[in-house]
Amino acid sequence: MDGATLEAIRVGSPEAARLSAAAVVEDATAAAHRVEAPWRPAFAAFLDGTQASRVIRYESGVPIVHGTVGAVIRQRQDRRLTTWAHETGTALYVPRRHLSRPTNLAVDRLGMTVVDITATLPEAEIAPQHPAALLDVAVHAVERDRERLEQRLAEQWCSERHDPLFVDGSISGSPRVASAACAVGVVKSHRLLYADGAALRVVVDLAQGQRSSVLRVAPPSSRRTPVWSWYLRLRETTGHDPMWGLVRVEVALTDVSDPATVSRRADTVSAWILAEATPLSLPDARWHTMVYGIRDCEEFLHAIR
Amino acid sequence: MSFIAESPPLGRVVATERRPNTPHEFHFWTALDSPVGIGTIVRVEGTVPVNGQIPQVYGVVVEGLSYTDLESPLHDVLGHDGSPSTASLAATERAEIRLYSAAVLRQLPEEPLQPVPMGHVFLATTEDIAVALRMDAYLNGETPTGIPIGVYRAGGTDAPIYVDADFLLGPEAAHLNITGVSGLATKTSAIEWIMSSIFTHFPKHKGSVAAVCFNVKGPDLCFLDQPGEIDAADLALYQACGVTPEPFASVQYFAPFKFDGFSLNTLRSNESLLDNVSPLTWGLKEVLQYAEVLLNKDDVDAKADALIDFIRERVVDREFSDPDLLGNRHYTVRSFADLEAWFKDILGGIERSNRESWRTHHVATIRKVRNRLSNISTRCAGLVTDGGDVSDLPFGAFRDRTVYVVDVAALEEDAQDLIFARIVTRLREHLEKRDLGVNHVIVFVDELNKYAPGDGPDTYVRKMLLDLAERGRYLGLVLFGAQQFRSQVHRRVVGNSGTALYGRMDGDELATPGYAVLSPAVKTKLATLAKGQLMIRHPHFTQPIFVRFPRPAILRGRDGAERFPQANDVPLDVAVLRTLRGFEPAITLAWVQDAIGIREDDEVIRARNAVVRERPADVRKFFLAQLRPIVTARSADRPAAIPIRSGPADDPYGF
Repeated sequence: MDGATLEAIRVGSPEAARLSAAAVVEDATAAAHRVEAPWRPAFAAFLDGTQASRVIRYESGVPIVHGTVGAVIRQRQDRRLTTWAHETGTALYVPRRHLSRPTNLAVDRLGMTVVDITATLPEAEIAPQHPAALLDVAVHAVERDRERLEQRLAEQWCSERHDPLFVDGSISGSPRVASAACAVGVVKSHRLLYADGAALRVVVDLAQGQRSSVLRVAPPSSRRTPVWSWYLRLRETTGHDPMWGLVRVEVALTDVSDPATVSRRADTVSAWILAEATPLSLPDARWHTMVYGIRDCEEFLHAIR
Repeated sequence: MSFIAESPPLGRVVATERRPNTPHEFHFWTALDSPVGIGTIVRVEGTVPVNGQIPQVYGVVVEGLSYTDLESPLHDVLGHDGSPSTASLAATERAEIRLYSAAVLRQLPEEPLQPVPMGHVFLATTEDIAVALRMDAYLNGETPTGIPIGVYRAGGTDAPIYVDADFLLGPEAAHLNITGVSGLATKTSAIEWIMSSIFTHFPKHKGSVAAVCFNVKGPDLCFLDQPGEIDAADLALYQACGVTPEPFASVQYFAPFKFDGFSLNTLRSNESLLDNVSPLTWGLKEVLQYAEVLLNKDDVDAKADALIDFIRERVVDREFSDPDLLGNRHYTVRSFADLEAWFKDILGGIERSNRESWRTHHVATIRKVRNRLSNISTRCAGLVTDGGDVSDLPFGAFRDRTVYVVDVAALEEDAQDLIFARIVTRLREHLEKRDLGVNHVIVFVDELNKYAPGDGPDTYVRKMLLDLAERGRYLGLVLFGAQQFRSQVHRRVVGNSGTALYGRMDGDELATPGYAVLSPAVKTKLATLAKGQLMIRHPHFTQPIFVRFPRPAILRGRDGAERFPQANDVPLDVAVLRTLRGFEPAITLAWVQDAIGIREDDEVIRARNAVVRERPADVRKFFLAQLRPIVTARSADRPAAIPIRSGPADDPYGF
């Protein structure tokens, strides 16, 4: 299948940019903390997943989407990355209720996994839809499958290994991972900023090598687990937008009664992440927030796709 | 020995539209720590059967690439803030590839010939190498003809590489050429090693073999019969090739005399090594046939050539008379001295009879030919004798597995050319008649770019080497040539060499068109080859192969020159003593001095040479017999004085 993926042509409504308040657990109010050098690498592995969706056919304006998902943990030994585990999957994402019976039978006869993207939709949304809206639904279904693979691998790592695992994205989707001491989630996109008011200023003004105070982030979705989180500036921002080189770190909650422990944990993990600032992930456009281990994961998944 | 059997694959074949595989080349990648390098032989195992057979492809690595996912070097600079010292602190090494290109050596099945398939790549085992290089065709069967030429080594595989005797010493192909920079002891050492291997493994059914080596510089080949030191690594190579590490068992040395006519002109003149050193001297008859070698073409025109032919056919070694010009005098010209006397009388007769020509030869032509021929014994003094004494290689009695070394290192170019021309021509004549004593002769000539240059005048020696290169294989006359610059040797000489060896090469030489077929990586390897390594091309091998060879178990020339210093020039009596002692050790200096007495040097040298030539049972008696008897001194009676007649008494002038 040739052509650009739905992800590449930005199908799927972007999340609205917004602010959300979060409880500061380290300081009385949000503040910037310098992460003291030396920054030494400690991550034993990196986890990331990819997805690619393409429309293979329109049936009376109803899209049939082919989705490929994959996730991998790349383990670091002697500064070289090798695959610890990986999973891939492909499926057809179809709105069965909008397809004719013969088309549904034809889809079944393909022998592929078929995901009915209308199965979980409320009845109100089952009515005939704009084709683009159906594409949004399909892409989100693919996204969920990708997240499931990532979570499965992360859970496998946390159950078998205790070395630090760098997870691309949030760890709050899996209660087991979100509570594991080894997992560190690093979020690169900031459509939702856990800061408002003075805290927002602290975050956007962070200098390279600085982190914000630790927050307790409780995502609104009930399917997500609260974690401790803080913002960390990986690179110098001069001449760039406020989100340049900014990541949000997530780690499991620990005993909140000892703020010093929280600070130490945040400093330690921040130093690990800052140590991953080289080598650069260029030519990826997200290189300012993407560490090389994650780019390596993506390259691996791209190679085996 | 190989431990690779059933080993896991070390690489995978890859092909892209930009870099596709072809029937003659393929690409594969390996782990970073794989033992693959330029020259490594690998086997590809296909996955899809062709005509019911899984394809097996053998190749030799000719190019290697390495790169990372870095898109621009500038990204690395930026990543380390322009400081190379911080690069080592990076938490992760970039993804890196080792991508190799291999030239196909052989495909099985051979038909249909297809592009190399995708598949796993394995390090070739010893058995794989035999198949890849098609050595299986001549190593097995009832009459194997394999001759080990070195050991291929890669990733724990030590496999002896064999060349086919039918393609090294004829008749299918023949000749060997080795090239490489000087001073690394590669070319001469390789030739010595290969001759040892040939003498050990030359198949019985192919008959006998001997070698004639021209030592053209220094003491390189002067100690082939003396043991040298080798180390454990060399010993292992000898064992792998089934060759005993020892010097040549049978070596005969030949060297002309110096200008004095009795001191051998060779670095192997130490008294303790003289037992197998013989003088090389020729007389008029031996030289006249090759006058063309020594005479300037501008001088020897058709008229002069006709006179030389006349002398060769009608004068030399025959009774000659010319009553019309010379009266009743008879001549038997056997030496340059005889020839000079003959010329003198002929010219004297012409002058007396006031003629301008004699037997259609103009007097000026006769004078010119006299001048040029008489001059030869002076220009080649020590080799060419006035007296006609001959001491030569044992044509007709060559022995199997014997090396005959002719030391021409200290000679003038003319004399060297004469020696090459005559010896090679005589070898060819005897091999044509099948009466040389052996069936095959290897002729080793170093500095081929001097004797058979690609440009310059068309000399007799070059013509002879060309003839040897083009027709020698039918006779069993095989040229092993060596030179520093292959590109400067005549194309037909190197082109006819079935087997070519390359030691470390000079960069300028590698830039010449003759090496265009080699990949840049192979050229780089050639430019950095260590001692004891060679690249070999052989008719059975579709691609060049790198091998190691052991240091010859022979005293190196330089070491030999130190251990066996060259004898100082000695007086004639001592020189004669050394020669005669070779035949009868009991002879003393006092006896020699007594025997020589007051005789002229020429006479003594002639007697000494006669002993060398005839090798008599009773040396003393024979030597003395060659000397003219000296008349015993006796006092003569004083004749009675005749009184002076007294003058007349009336002599007016008397006092």
